[in-house]
Amino acid sequence: MTVNADGAAAAAPYPAAPAGPPGPGREPEPAPELVQLLTPEGEPVEHPEYAIGESADEIRALYRDLVLVRRIDTEAISLQRQGELGIWASLLGQEAAQVGSGRALGPRDMAFPTYREHGVAWCRGLDPMQLFRLFRGVSNGGWDPADHNFHLYTIVIGSQALHATGYAMGIQRDGAVGNDPAGADGGTAGEAVIAYFGDGATSQGDVNEAFIWASVFNAPVVFFCQNNQWAISEPLEKQSRIPLYHRARGFGFPGVRVDGNDVLACKAVTRKALQAAYAGQGPTLIEAYTYRMGAHTTTDDPTRYRLQSELEAWKLKDPIERVKAYLVRAHGADAGFFQQIDREADELGERIRREVRSMPDPGPLEIFGNVYAEPHSLLAAERDQYAAYLDSFADTEQEAAQ
Amino acid sequence: MAEAKLTPEQKLAMYHRMLLCRMFEERVYFLFLEGRLPGTIHQSQGQEASAVGICSALDAGDMITSTHRPHSHAIARGVSARSLMAELFAKETGCCRGKGGSMHVGDAGAGMLPAIAIVGGGLPLAAGYALAFRYLKQPNIVACFFGEGAANIGVFHEAVNMAAIWNLPVVFVCENNKYAASTAVEKVMRVKHVSERAAAYGIPGETVDGNDVEVVYQAMVKAGSRARAGDGPTLLELETYRFAGHSRSDPGHYRKPEEVAAWKERDPIARYEARLLAEKVLEPSEMTKIRASIELELETAIAQAEQDPSPKPEDCLTDVFAS
Repeated sequence: MTVNADGAAAAAPYPAAPAGPPGPGREPEPAPELVQLLTPEGEPVEHPEYAIGESADEIRALYRDLVLVRRIDTEAISLQRQGELGIWASLLGQEAAQVGSGRALGPRDMAFPTYREHGVAWCRGLDPMQLFRLFRGVSNGGWDPADHNFHLYTIVIGSQALHATGYAMGIQRDGAVGNDPAGADGGTAGEAVIAYFGDGATSQGDVNEAFIWASVFNAPVVFFCQNNQWAISEPLEKQSRIPLYHRARGFGFPGVRVDGNDVLACKAVTRKALQAAYAGQGPTLIEAYTYRMGAHTTTDDPTRYRLQSELEAWKLKDPIERVKAYLVRAHGADAGFFQQIDREADELGERIRREVRSMPDPGPLEIFGNVYAEPHSLLAAERDQYAAYLDSFADTEQEAAQ
Repeated sequence: MAEAKLTPEQKLAMYHRMLLCRMFEERVYFLFLEGRLPGTIHQSQGQEASAVGICSALDAGDMITSTHRPHSHAIARGVSARSLMAELFAKETGCCRGKGGSMHVGDAGAGMLPAIAIVGGGLPLAAGYALAFRYLKQPNIVACFFGEGAANIGVFHEAVNMAAIWNLPVVFVCENNKYAASTAVEKVMRVKHVSERAAAYGIPGETVDGNDVEVVYQAMVKAGSRARAGDGPTLLELETYRFAGHSRSDPGHYRKPEEVAAWKERDPIARYEARLLAEKVLEPSEMTKIRASIELELETAIAQAEQDPSPKPEDCLTDVFAS
């Protein structure tokens, strides 16, 4: 502990932001240019650049995604509490950001997630059991990224922004960019990359370097930042002087802020950014302004660092309720429709509970799988050595059994 | 903010300091060619106005951080040519007792942390030092020198963002000499000016002529006042050019001769000399005297350095930790 000249122990590790009138470089923030197509009350909003382009059926499908993804999350938390999962990173409150952006992706697009993108995984077609295998600790990663164009979950904060940029530069060099300027072939011919990260990751040097590479080489990548306001216990205002979507200005590419609890706006904004990438116009930074309603992970207790009132305010901006209201008012959805979705959610929940509990533990030698793409002599030797070591207990086990 | 008025004495002092930087580098160049100096060097001919303009606007208690190209920064900050030369000769009398060499020269007592040769490595240290000033309630600031290549390194982002949110008393001084070793800046930056990066952190950014010592000085006075007043960091970009190659082994063939020639037309010392002569601050006879005195200073420094003792093997383990 450092002690000041007057003998008092120094309290704060760093100075607080100055009070009083703003000085140079600290101009008051203009009203945020938030793209919103559906208010929290479910009223449609006119926007000069974006519009609701979905049919009633498509909006119903999005509603279904939101509800099922939330059910995956609530089941997972319960299973973790029962000791069936090692840990879980809840997406509660971020369903719209994930489903909106996930459903904007074309079949050839590649997604690079953090460890919280369960909603995007759902949209890419992963069976939720593949996620659960990872969080139960019974698989070495979870899935093959090539199966659904959905990369493995990345735990290191922000590093996937670099992987995504590298991948984007790869498809650019393969000649896959700039061939689909007008969204020909229903937009399915385009190929781009989306990198997911949170507000905390924007303070990482890696994300900055990804911005530089992507901007300089016009890489076809969409940086999708879910600003859920909290980097574990660190609030955003302690991490940035500016709204995060302004960050892109310093690098010379566009940034846009979207209501991250508005699935239609998230889809429209992501779609436009992807199309720009398809057409060879380079990266876009999307800041999906949302809120992490739950804990950072099941090992965290957010009541220790944030106020209940903040949570209550965000409850009024729920991503699912607004779509429900809109479906009823604008598209005549009735109770039967919602009951049917709820039934489906119950069935999904039941399947999750049953299948997770019956997931077998992997054999000890499986840890040697998926290390190298091709056979590797050193790894094979280590595997054999470990197998022989395990075999050496065979006698003991027999004795114990007798 | 009104411009700070420079007295004739201050102008002459800046001229003298720039000339010392230049003549030191020229002398060192030949010492290397002659094989009298060990190691490698990164020379700063052409960038004297940025070093001297910035350091002339600092107070005694302020601190600078430097790079792998630190000779002019050291001289501008007041590290003696004698101790600098001895350091290049790896002698005990050097500013780092002969253990640092060209890329680590510095003297915290003179207000210069030993130079940090890792590209971008000085930025977080500068932010940290500024935090220490704030924490200890010292009214000082840090001037952090780095090149435009370092602005593409992740720690640039981390240091500038942290300095911005904590309002740290630091001025980030980017010497944009157009080439990161052989990589031209426009190949690795989508924005036109490094100073535009400031928008990403909500701090002021400014680009000025880095080959005009008075312009640099005034920009630093302005940015320094903000930092001292608690308004946080500034990203100051100085447009300049290195006349030499990146390092001793680089002849700089990646640059067009016309480009080098055009920048030599903007030689910061020749320009300032002409201006001071026109302003009658400097007389031709005085110029000759200044040059002669610098030559003598350098000759003495070299002669002494060559005779000075080398560090002893047993000194290897001293000066590793502060306490």
